Amino acid sequence: MLKHLMRLGMVLVAGPLTSVASAQSTPLPPANQGAFQGGTTGTKTDAGVNNVLPPALQTSGGSFNIPTNSKPSPMFGAQSFVQQMLLFEEFGPEPLNPNGPAPSRSFPAPSAGSLPEQTPGTTAGSAPAGAALEAFLAQQGVAPYPTEYANTADLNPWKSQIESFLGRPLVNPPAEGRPAGSGWSHQRWNEFYPTVYFKTAQAGARVNGGFRDSHQMHKYQVGEFGPGGLYHNTAGIPATDGTTKGIAVRIHPSMPVQEHKSVWTFDGTVPPKLLMARYGQPVLMRHYNALPIDPSANRGFGLHTISTHEHNGHNPAESDGFTNAFFFPGQYYDYRWPMQLAGYDTINTSAAEAKAAFPAAPGEAIYVNDATPGQKTTTGSSIKIRGDWRETMSTHWFHDHMLDFTAQNVYKGNAAMMNYYSALDRGNEAIDDGVNLRLPSGTALPWGNRDYDINLLVADKAWDKDGQLWFNIFNTDGFLGDHLLTNWLYNPYFNVRARRYRFRILNGSVSRYLTLALVRQIQGNGGELQGPSGSGISYSRVPFHMVGNDGNLMEHTVPFDGIVDVAGDGKPQDRKGVLPEQGIAERYDIIVDFAKNGIKVGDKLYFVNILEHQDGKKPNRVVPLGDVLAEKYKPVLHTTNGVPDSWVGGDPAVGKFMELRVQAYAGNDKSMDPADYVNGKKTMIPLKFDRDSASAKAMLANARHHTFEFGRSDGTDEAPWTIKSDGGTGMNMDPRRTSAASELSTESTAAGYSGAGTLEIWKISNPSGGWAHPVHVHFEEGIILTRGGKTPPLWEKWARKDVYRVGPSADATSTVEMAIHFREFAGTYMEHCHNTQHEDHSMLLRWDISHPGQLQLMPAPLPTWEGVQFVDTTALPTMRTGDGFGPKP
Amino acid sequence: MHDRKRNPFTKALVAAFITLGVLGMGSTPAKAGTTVWGADYFPKVTLIDQDGKPQRFFEDLIQDKVVAVNFIFTSCKDVCPLETARLREVQEILGDRLGKDIFFLSISIDPQRDTPEVLKAYAKRYQAGPGWTFLTGKMEDITQLRYKLGLLSLDSDPANLKGHSMSLIIGNQSSGQWMKRSPYENAHVLATQMGSWLSSWKLPSKPGLEYANAPKVRNLSLGENLFRTRCGACHTLGEEGGGAIAKQAIAPDLLNVTRTRDKVWLARWLTEPDKMLAERDPQALALQARYNNLVMPNLSLGQEDTHAVMAFLEEESQRVEQQRGQTAKVALVPCH
Repeated sequence: MLKHLMRLGMVLVAGPLTSVASAQSTPLPPANQGAFQGGTTGTKTDAGVNNVLPPALQTSGGSFNIPTNSKPSPMFGAQSFVQQMLLFEEFGPEPLNPNGPAPSRSFPAPSAGSLPEQTPGTTAGSAPAGAALEAFLAQQGVAPYPTEYANTADLNPWKSQIESFLGRPLVNPPAEGRPAGSGWSHQRWNEFYPTVYFKTAQAGARVNGGFRDSHQMHKYQVGEFGPGGLYHNTAGIPATDGTTKGIAVRIHPSMPVQEHKSVWTFDGTVPPKLLMARYGQPVLMRHYNALPIDPSANRGFGLHTISTHEHNGHNPAESDGFTNAFFFPGQYYDYRWPMQLAGYDTINTSAAEAKAAFPAAPGEAIYVNDATPGQKTTTGSSIKIRGDWRETMSTHWFHDHMLDFTAQNVYKGNAAMMNYYSALDRGNEAIDDGVNLRLPSGTALPWGNRDYDINLLVADKAWDKDGQLWFNIFNTDGFLGDHLLTNWLYNPYFNVRARRYRFRILNGSVSRYLTLALVRQIQGNGGELQGPSGSGISYSRVPFHMVGNDGNLMEHTVPFDGIVDVAGDGKPQDRKGVLPEQGIAERYDIIVDFAKNGIKVGDKLYFVNILEHQDGKKPNRVVPLGDVLAEKYKPVLHTTNGVPDSWVGGDPAVGKFMELRVQAYAGNDKSMDPADYVNGKKTMIPLKFDRDSASAKAMLANARHHTFEFGRSDGTDEAPWTIKSDGGTGMNMDPRRTSAASELSTESTAAGYSGAGTLEIWKISNPSGGWAHPVHVHFEEGIILTRGGKTPPLWEKWARKDVYRVGPSADATSTVEMAIHFREFAGTYMEHCHNTQHEDHSMLLRWDISHPGQLQLMPAPLPTWEGVQFVDTTALPTMRTGDGFGPKP
Repeated sequence: MHDRKRNPFTKALVAAFITLGVLGMGSTPAKAGTTVWGADYFPKVTLIDQDGKPQRFFEDLIQDKVVAVNFIFTSCKDVCPLETARLREVQEILGDRLGKDIFFLSISIDPQRDTPEVLKAYAKRYQAGPGWTFLTGKMEDITQLRYKLGLLSLDSDPANLKGHSMSLIIGNQSSGQWMKRSPYENAHVLATQMGSWLSSWKLPSKPGLEYANAPKVRNLSLGENLFRTRCGACHTLGEEGGGAIAKQAIAPDLLNVTRTRDKVWLARWLTEPDKMLAERDPQALALQARYNNLVMPNLSLGQEDTHAVMAFLEEESQRVEQQRGQTAKVALVPCH
């Protein structure tokens, strides 16, 4: 009874519907000058002292508080669709060879230098010289060599610089930031020994030196990346033919280069980075921290300690990026990702299934723990591996997960994408071996072609009067930027061939949801939607198929063609050429055919965002696409005394943000036709059970059930709980508290064991009307059983998800119930809202998987410069005696 | 085998280092750099402290300091007393650093009622020590501060006391690092965050417990979770000495409370203490009087939560008793 009252209370308190309504009813001031797309805009003198508006101004006159609590980002005269889009740059792992020569250069320490890549007059507030870091990363080999247990014997190579800054000596500051001891040693190290590795450093922005050119699988030699190919030139300027050398971190050519304190990316460079990894081949990332020793050298946001989370990899906890297992400047952390199919211990343990396989070139070999464990060599197109092929994943990303600073650090550039390649989804559209699904990709390489397989990182950003990236760390409800960047660029164009393409679209924002539409521009008014009056142009929506949701290929493709009722709401026309709402961290893989639907060579197409936000709590509404294209909905700059001070008339991140230019295609498109895989036709990767079948119902009836209820992002007197679990407590993030401890049903076994693993049902709910939460559960993807009590829409019905949108927005409901399966690895994982501002503000809870019959929960680490410790407190019930697990004296 | 032992050689090295002095390294400890979150970000407002003295928010209260800032009102009967209680715990862990390089600021959002005198009495009830300032001032100034610190939404009503965010902001003004934390946080973690992270690790870490020797943790029950994140800010459960003494001055020890109190009464006291006080329940009033009129907060516990907490209190009391019994037995037969 009390519980019900409380929930009711939360709904009443949390719903800001009244305030939204009143904001809308306020008359808009006259839109005077300025243009939405990079027209009349600010100069250096436009913005105030620090780009922050007083509260009184923030709410005045129907303006949009975007960027959150700030003034509009000055454009420096930047025009739309004049710069070529950057494609992701591959890390390019190398074989890990214990007998190889050790590299000669050690991790370069920071030194004083000139802006933008260093800072004069300080070591601690500066960065390693760009050339030195480049040379260090470029050399082959790795030293010290990776170890099962954290390397606490070698010292942090930046020891003396750190001591100077701290003003005190450090006692054995370890080289590796991973906690010492067996609890954080690499689980099943020998079994999943990394045979390939790569080095990268989280570093301040610097000019790309091009050392990864030779690490690209295509080597700028073959396919569209080869000479004469569409993507041979990386940035569209003469100097970048077949190389990324010379590319600076710059949002637009008209804008200033980002300083090393403003943007912190993998390698410190753009293009953004991509890991191409294969099932069956464990990979190790040696992640160096090359960020400033002085925590204040951050232009106001971002923390120099980091913890890297491979979003939803089937990874053991020590390599999952636990929020409190962070590491310091000068240190590295070895993340080892086994790259095994879930079900490894229990399903297909003799590796007999052709669909569970490592995609390879003839002659390549890997170690397989099958019925006769040993090294296997490729004869055909792949090598069979253990596990459940229906758990095959495709499009991931990894990013920082630092306690309390995730939003700032990810926003600042700590985000990379990761494509998983399998025999099913191998990145070669020609190989016809009966397993390969032949998604659009290319044919030059046996796997991993990216000619027609494009990663897109879409995220909103803001910048200050100097053009440097800006973030307000004191926001209440979430942070919104005023421009959508694609692969770190403002409104780029991108050349495409007249053929099928796959786009892997990631929403990498902090608090912004997206609804993306694809339209073709038509000369004259013959299109279905009209352009601005008098412009003489119109637009038609372009149909496409969704093939992957949250990085997992679906059972069936889902056509957004205006014919199939994908949402089940009787309004299929509304969905033509328009993706469903996409929450933060969600990935949608789509296939677009630029040779169909009337598209001709020379045509221009646009990606358009039509989801409006007014604050970071939730999206406000889907703006009619026609209004956006006709510029009836047009955010404009409001100025006071000639100085832009706010956006009025709309959310400035609504509108066109990327142009696609269709070029002739002379080749032969051998990729799959997504129309052959719609419901009722062929299947891609079937779900492991049919939610409506009697057998599934019987199985689910026996699964343990957990309920997690998400409320507002801060506790208040009236609504003190932000996350409630199992109908009881609301729990905030104390990294040392466990909320759901699931026990693995089976311990790791020799090949041959069969069993079901631990299947549970989790209900994620958000009854408060005022907040939208994209909830992310680490480690495993789930199958949505019901959304809002009903069968989910097609794009979720055929999907395996790792982000669950709950709340008041258009394509969400207040509850989701899903089935989730725990196998293979144990340890400490997390579940949280992926509006990273909400997460940082305590919508994060920890859960653990323990080994059967054995307690494997570890007290959470407390890292320091001098190694990782833990505190012995009342919250950590070590005072108990008699259970055999007390502290050692 | 895999953990690093701190050997005598290292100790000698450290001693030598200290003797030589840091300056011997040819560089001075870095002064924190400039931050964008400086005087022009924070509102130029002056508040009044519990002694009636004016305090400029930026210059007098946060400039070049590590601070925890929260917003309270002394008449709160819901969860917010927990904020103050949690800070009191952190105060104890930080010891004499509070007032030296770390400061707490508790600012009233009900300045009409919370005069300096009222705040002073409130501070005394919670045994707030030096370095912890309670502040009042003009409502509009305080509202502006709440906006700027990200603790008040633009669409929230500043006068709705019950809707106020319970989060606290901890930060280091000179390094520009600011974090929003929850009062449910473990006090030791909060103290570490303020004392080490935000203090730019300037002080040597205390000889810490080696992670390699960290014990395995057993699963916490729902009730234990609740007790440790909520009740434990004020109450002890059979602990003795040290911090327990200070806690027992503000709230009763709960050992065997499920046996010494009527269970129906106790369950209601856990779920709606404010109502029982309003109804002038004699036991409730007696408790309040005994503990300096410190209010037992209404934590909005659900029925399941209450049962879980009571079950834990019962279980833990038995365990503590049993352990005491064993210790006693051992003490009786020392030669055995």
